[in-house]
Amino acid sequence: MEYETKSGRAGPGNPTSPRQSVRKNLDFEPLSTTALILEDRPANLPAKPAEEAQKHRQQYEEMVAQAKKRELKEAQKRRKQLEDRCKLEESIGTAAQTWNQEILPHWSTVCTSRRVRDLWWQGIPPSVRGKVWSLAVGNELNITHELYSICLARAKEKWNTTAAPTTETETEDAGSSDRESSLELIKLDISRTFPQLCIFQKGGPYHDVLHSILGAYTCYRPDVGYVQGMSFIAAVLILNLDTADAFIAFANLLNKPCQMAFFRVDHSLMLTYFAAFEVFFEENLPKLFAHFKKNNLTPDIYLIDWIFTLYSKSLPLDLACRVWDVFCRDGEDIFVQPFEGISRHHEDHLHPSALRPGSCNAVYSYLPEFTWSRQLLL
Amino acid sequence: MEAIWLYQFRLIVIGDSTVGKSCLIRRFTEGRFAQVSDPTVGVDFFSRLVEIEPGKRIKLQIWDTAGQERFRSITRAYYRNSVGGLLLFDITNRRSFQNVHDWLEEARSHVQPHSIVFLLVGHKCDLEAQRQVTRQEAEKLAGAYGMRYVETSARDAINVEHAFTELTRDIFALVRSGDITIQEGWEGVKSGFVPNVVHSSEEVTKSDRRCLC
Repeated sequence: MEYETKSGRAGPGNPTSPRQSVRKNLDFEPLSTTALILEDRPANLPAKPAEEAQKHRQQYEEMVAQAKKRELKEAQKRRKQLEDRCKLEESIGTAAQTWNQEILPHWSTVCTSRRVRDLWWQGIPPSVRGKVWSLAVGNELNITHELYSICLARAKEKWNTTAAPTTETETEDAGSSDRESSLELIKLDISRTFPQLCIFQKGGPYHDVLHSILGAYTCYRPDVGYVQGMSFIAAVLILNLDTADAFIAFANLLNKPCQMAFFRVDHSLMLTYFAAFEVFFEENLPKLFAHFKKNNLTPDIYLIDWIFTLYSKSLPLDLACRVWDVFCRDGEDIFVQPFEGISRHHEDHLHPSALRPGSCNAVYSYLPEFTWSRQLLL
Repeated sequence: MEAIWLYQFRLIVIGDSTVGKSCLIRRFTEGRFAQVSDPTVGVDFFSRLVEIEPGKRIKLQIWDTAGQERFRSITRAYYRNSVGGLLLFDITNRRSFQNVHDWLEEARSHVQPHSIVFLLVGHKCDLEAQRQVTRQEAEKLAGAYGMRYVETSARDAINVEHAFTELTRDIFALVRSGDITIQEGWEGVKSGFVPNVVHSSEEVTKSDRRCLC
């Protein structure tokens, strides 16, 4: 250790002159202030008394010992983290194996079993996530890969014909009949979908896939068309499934009663959902409910965003996928569950005044991040 | 701690999709330009205090709305409780300017029996090279509707403060003159905590404590 060499050189019994030792020590260990403690005083000052020198040495040794202990602890912590990570990877691996070998081949018979449901709740391993979602969402609409190709071809035809004449007057004419043509809005929204991931933007690897799915859907369901929020749902599916399967899951998911009600903006049905949500909210989280009520934070303000994007816009993507796992298992009850997870935490840990009116965008944009505790994640 | 404000005004920001409504609001409330931005689904709200005269603060509650036509039936429910509005179009997108009239009609027919003080905003004025709407025609339109016109840029922070403060001042003048009154069950204007005339620092702390509870 440097300390030994130094104390040997600058120790009281050392014959080198103090001046010299100062210079030497500066050359030797300019970084450490401890050098000053151990240093003999400059020649023009009285020497350090022996006990003081002894005390300083002892203090220094204590400091070194403490630093060593701390380092040891850090190392242990790092080792533990690494172990945990390995364990986690291993458990994901075994879970994936279980899903692949035992559950997926016998889906229809085991999907409602207690064991599968428990395993499901713990989170689906990313490698089988897409498959499980597909199976859980089902294909009531009997959409085939061929039908997807047909819809896509029709969409392409449409956007080729609208893309060709782009002079000002032409678009103006188009605007009067269909002032916000879905196809155009899709183009604008694709690059605004998970912008921070930089994969759906023009030139990004998934730009065309997202464009295709949304375009094909507007041809498959012209009565619904494209509605903002859809691009997020399609994007999450694309990240977990092949294009045609993503389209099938997308169309079937949107066909669920709750989604249909919202995407078609069926007011009376939406109000029914809001009312149901409020009943649940009041029953389960009375304190927070009262606070929301007092500040006029009504469900229309946050539920619309949550339902239209199935939580994918307001939660970090990994968390959103976890929520989707549960959504695929339990259906639309999920709309209240993540909220419960979010809010229950807050009811316990935060004074409700933290949710001041005006921090509503915060309610759903960053509140969930630190509330859905990470243990829920894979 | 809740700051002291004289009134709370509720404003609504409307206009076509991608004209930059959310970015303008974020620039005003958060003081920065969001490089990446996602589409607003439904509605959202933000707030900020504005000092219109020394010691006279107004709390603005700013409602952001989805631009897509499909959401009109949702957003129209928010007109009624707004006292002011920013009607945005994108100066580089002619169609968004042509739709200003529709937006205004939409707002006027749903705000009854109240009315909204509107400001016409030509947004993205940093993109001068791509301009499709001249300042003159926008001013003319604003004049025809009896509104002010201002050109803003959230990216370069041009006129953002000005737009919101001017609108706030206009509304404040109407409240003061009695043309706009506070009404039970209407969220457009609310009166806030009004401190007594404060003379010494001691009283300041006292009143602060009072508003904490």
